[in-house]
Amino acid sequence: MGWEETQVRGYPEFVRTAQSYHGRPIFALFCGDKDAEGKSWCPDCVTAEPVVRKELHNLPDESVFIYCLVGDRAYWKDPNNEFRRNLKLTGVPTLLKYGTPQKLVEEECFKAELVRMLFTED
Amino acid sequence: GKNEYDLLVIGGGSGGLACAKEAAQFGRKVAVLDYVEPSPRGTTWGLGGTCVNVGCIPKKLMHQAALLGSALKDAQHYGWNISQPVHHTWSVMAQSVQNYVKSLNWGHRVQLQDKKVKYFNIRGSFSDPHTVRGLTKAGKETIVTADNIVIATGGRPKYPTHIAGALEYGITSDDLFWLKESPGKTLPSFILHVSLECAGFLTGIGLDTTVMMRSIPLRGFDQASHISKKNQICFTTQQQMASLVTEHMESYGTKFLKRCFPTKVEKLKSNRLQVTWKNADLNTEETDCFDTVMWAVGRAPDTKTLSLETVGVKTNSETGKIIVDASEATSVPHIYAIGDITEGRPELTPTAIAAGKLLAQRLFRHSSELMDYDSVPTTVFTPLEYGCVGLSEEAAVQRHGSDNIEVYHAYYKPLEFTVAERDAIQCYVKMVCLREREQRILGLHFIGPNAGEVIQGFALGIKCGATYPQLMKTVGIHPTCAEEVTKLHITKRSGLDATVTGC
Repeated sequence: MGWEETQVRGYPEFVRTAQSYHGRPIFALFCGDKDAEGKSWCPDCVTAEPVVRKELHNLPDESVFIYCLVGDRAYWKDPNNEFRRNLKLTGVPTLLKYGTPQKLVEEECFKAELVRMLFTED
Repeated sequence: GKNEYDLLVIGGGSGGLACAKEAAQFGRKVAVLDYVEPSPRGTTWGLGGTCVNVGCIPKKLMHQAALLGSALKDAQHYGWNISQPVHHTWSVMAQSVQNYVKSLNWGHRVQLQDKKVKYFNIRGSFSDPHTVRGLTKAGKETIVTADNIVIATGGRPKYPTHIAGALEYGITSDDLFWLKESPGKTLPSFILHVSLECAGFLTGIGLDTTVMMRSIPLRGFDQASHISKKNQICFTTQQQMASLVTEHMESYGTKFLKRCFPTKVEKLKSNRLQVTWKNADLNTEETDCFDTVMWAVGRAPDTKTLSLETVGVKTNSETGKIIVDASEATSVPHIYAIGDITEGRPELTPTAIAAGKLLAQRLFRHSSELMDYDSVPTTVFTPLEYGCVGLSEEAAVQRHGSDNIEVYHAYYKPLEFTVAERDAIQCYVKMVCLREREQRILGLHFIGPNAGEVIQGFALGIKCGATYPQLMKTVGIHPTCAEEVTKLHITKRSGLDATVTGC
């Protein structure tokens, strides 16, 4: 079985979804909400998403890719939002391997080799 | 044909990574090999070397865990309502520390990738002076060729294999920091600063800990005859700093078996370990049971699998370490070595990093600056820390003669200990100066809280050739422990009581 993608919005939905896939490698990309035209308020997320998507075929078998919209700009700017507090996210976009300290933050997500490294290395 | 890389670094630790990243900055084609042979217990770890994985970092964090335990006890005196006794859970600490270390492994991995340094997780060995071959974990062979090769494979803890059961049942620092469960009642043995540091934090988090020592603690650190607080002059050469540090540990619950050496380790049906040892003073044989036996008997250079003989890199016949000159060059052109693997160098992260960077600058930037190994400050992170820079008292006496040096010293009490009703009889500072002319400061030794933080600044002073008169003109910061350095005025020679009274 290859990899699969699921899309969520907000912290509670993210946690529920991650827990439901317990036991499989989970990768997550956190981005700012998108408007009606599908454009995110977060310009770095707009740059990073296609780079990340292009590397998804490198995901190990059985893994899950969770695409998570964190919320609007105001929610994100709040230093106490649940993503910052509980997942220790410091910026968007963040691409991480759930349950490990392995992550790429902001401009690191623009680099295809780093994304590939996150997906393929132990 | 042409070599594939400008620089190949074997070993992804403090020295190796610093050298590789520096060279890559100059636009060079660089590769790093890193491989961790699992310990006899099966412990293994990621990129970053000894410091990050099984040395400085986890050690300092666990030392901090123990200090926090002491602080919780002191807190009551300062008004905090904390129910005693306070308990410690090993697995919580271990997981936090291990997670942090793993984030460092990842950070190094990202940095290498970002700086376009090629990384191979393989164990390399020399085929010829410009060729290294290695096998991946999957068994695939890789050949790497380079114009310049730097060996930075460091060392691993030794096992006292002549002691029955030592290898089968004992662990080393390689394993201690990665234990998922508490080590329980532990016997670190013998004496090296490693076993004192480990025994210190194990005791501090509440574990029954006994240190077995064959002879003198902290070999290589300051050992000189001293005048104890009770004005008894000790004629035999004693470990002054070492004994102060161990006295402190003893008063806080670490047990010491002095002048003892183990003869065998056996496993009992209960899975506990029975250690048998000889007590050299009483000429008796004794036994006791422990949950964990940890060996700290020295480190051996990691050269076995490098095939150094194939290319003729010379090593010291006694220590096995690679012989290098002042430019870190080995006996083979274009092959260099830095860090713990090299003969005669301090086994420290900052010197390895600096040496690695300077080497890269000499190789690729036409620099001629050599690494200065003089007056390197260090600190032993025992519960009461010992920091030092420059010469020990013995080294100064040996170099200049006892008539030409002046030793100033003082016993002091940290302000924070007073309200907490803590004993401070081992808090001590000693400075060794030349007696003549400008009275240059040769060495500074400090036992007390945050010794590393205290000594760091004074290391700059010593590098600049600071003198005793200059120090006396330096105003202290009050109230601190560091200010005691600026107030030193009692000499050992005078025989006067060196206890500082309050302000």
